[in-house]
Amino acid sequence: MSMVWTKETDLAAIGLKAVPETEQVEKAILEIDELRQKARALMVMLETCTKCGACKEQCHSYLGTKDFNNFPAARAELFRKVYKRYFTMSGRVLGRFAGAEELDADTIGQWMTYFYQCNECRRCAAFCPFGIDTAEVTIAARQILTNLGLLPRFFQGIANNMIKTGNNMGLPAPAIIDCVEFLEEEMKDETGLDIKIPLNKERADILYIPSSADVFTNTDTMMGVAKMFYAVDADWTIDTSILEAANFGLLFDEKAMQEHNKRLVDAAQRCGAKVVVQGECGHGWRAAKMYTDSLNGPVTFMIKHVLEVADEYLSSGKITLKPDAIQERVTLHDPCNLARAGDVIEQPRRLIKACAPNFVEMTPNREENFCCGGGSGLLMDDIIDIRVKLGKTKADQVVSTQAEFVAMPCSICKAQLPVVFKHWGINVKTGGVMDLVGKSIVLPSNE
Amino acid sequence: MAHITVNGKQIEIDEDGFLVDPADWNEDVAKYFAGVEEVEELSEKHWEIINYLKNYFKQFGVAPMIRKLCKETGVSNKEIYDLFPSGPAKGACKIAGLPKPTGCV
Repeated sequence: MSMVWTKETDLAAIGLKAVPETEQVEKAILEIDELRQKARALMVMLETCTKCGACKEQCHSYLGTKDFNNFPAARAELFRKVYKRYFTMSGRVLGRFAGAEELDADTIGQWMTYFYQCNECRRCAAFCPFGIDTAEVTIAARQILTNLGLLPRFFQGIANNMIKTGNNMGLPAPAIIDCVEFLEEEMKDETGLDIKIPLNKERADILYIPSSADVFTNTDTMMGVAKMFYAVDADWTIDTSILEAANFGLLFDEKAMQEHNKRLVDAAQRCGAKVVVQGECGHGWRAAKMYTDSLNGPVTFMIKHVLEVADEYLSSGKITLKPDAIQERVTLHDPCNLARAGDVIEQPRRLIKACAPNFVEMTPNREENFCCGGGSGLLMDDIIDIRVKLGKTKADQVVSTQAEFVAMPCSICKAQLPVVFKHWGINVKTGGVMDLVGKSIVLPSNE
Repeated sequence: MAHITVNGKQIEIDEDGFLVDPADWNEDVAKYFAGVEEVEELSEKHWEIINYLKNYFKQFGVAPMIRKLCKETGVSNKEIYDLFPSGPAKGACKIAGLPKPTGCV
């Protein structure tokens, strides 16, 4: 099986157009020309690689597939060699001798393959002596492909749902209300308390943005958050126009990223939120934290991650977790967008240790952690055989910990890893960090 | 777009093998999909779940959350996988003629 691409007739629905095959090369070169004037940091990276090979053993994509083009320097080379040919003196004059090559249909085909076998996890950047960020090359290459009308069908479906409903799953407001009411009933059955999940309040201090998967599959995460906000009597709300932390625009189209982010900004301004709290989502965290100001700013609200907030409540005594609530052997999988330049590293650990006495770190961890293999939206069933290879390094890490539960505060990881573990014969439970908080939190009436 | 043939009629399915037009669904189509999804025979419990999914989709335009599906039909998460080996999203939803749930799931 291989990647399924969006049909030409489905592109218009998400504001894109197909460029005829005969014109693709010319258009792509124009795109690179535009980029080199806007994205100077990217250009520096393209010109700096010395092919030292430090990235090779650090990339789970290369380690899992053993495909040379998944070796980060080689992956970037697919783009670099074209950039050099058209935009550098040595490339134009010396051609192949300067590592420069003309762009052709075959190379575009390679871009479609290999820039969709990169998880944009940035582990290579953490080990590169020059700090070259291959993820930025992947993002640029994918944007060019998108502008040619070449994007995975999986992304078209999600983008379409986002436009229609404000979340990737395509949940319309009545469905969201039904889900929320059900979860409120579940929490009442469990705790005897009227724990609410407020929707569309006119005014609230906190705008909470969950991953839409949190009201479909990862409901323990949603309930953990609701219990926490109940315990601190927070003035919070969810806005059904943006029931989606995961900004997939970051993964294929800057315009889609901006539109998603605009929903966030509009919703926050509508309810006068002082803080926007992003739920357990990796890319959404990166997109919201790093890009809000440049996409739709300036904004007056703060942007925090739910684990930052939970950790603050814990350390200030606003919430208490029962220290022996979770008896299983627990390990933490650091999502890439939290641990590498995401600044959400120690918080999940403190939260887990506060309720799970049997916590074990995997090796490596924190900013050196390996990606789950589903990063950058690689959750398509079409490439399941690639995905399980991308996840092999992570699978080995988990086996070494002999953990019974792997905490993973990101929806993509929660979707990818159970599939990976099943494939490699690993029997382990998975879930979010807020799931554990929800299971161990001391609630007002049962103190 | 691919097609399957059920009772001599050509029915359109998408690249994941899910029904494109919900109006094409009938019990024979369900049985066909069941075969593809490693469900040997559709028991009463299978049909209860299939009907729940169809009704929920008709009302809300999406599949129900898995926890709710389990509770309303009286099955545990494990039992759902026993009944539908490919799971509630990929197995049960396909057999019930719903579109494949997408996003981070």
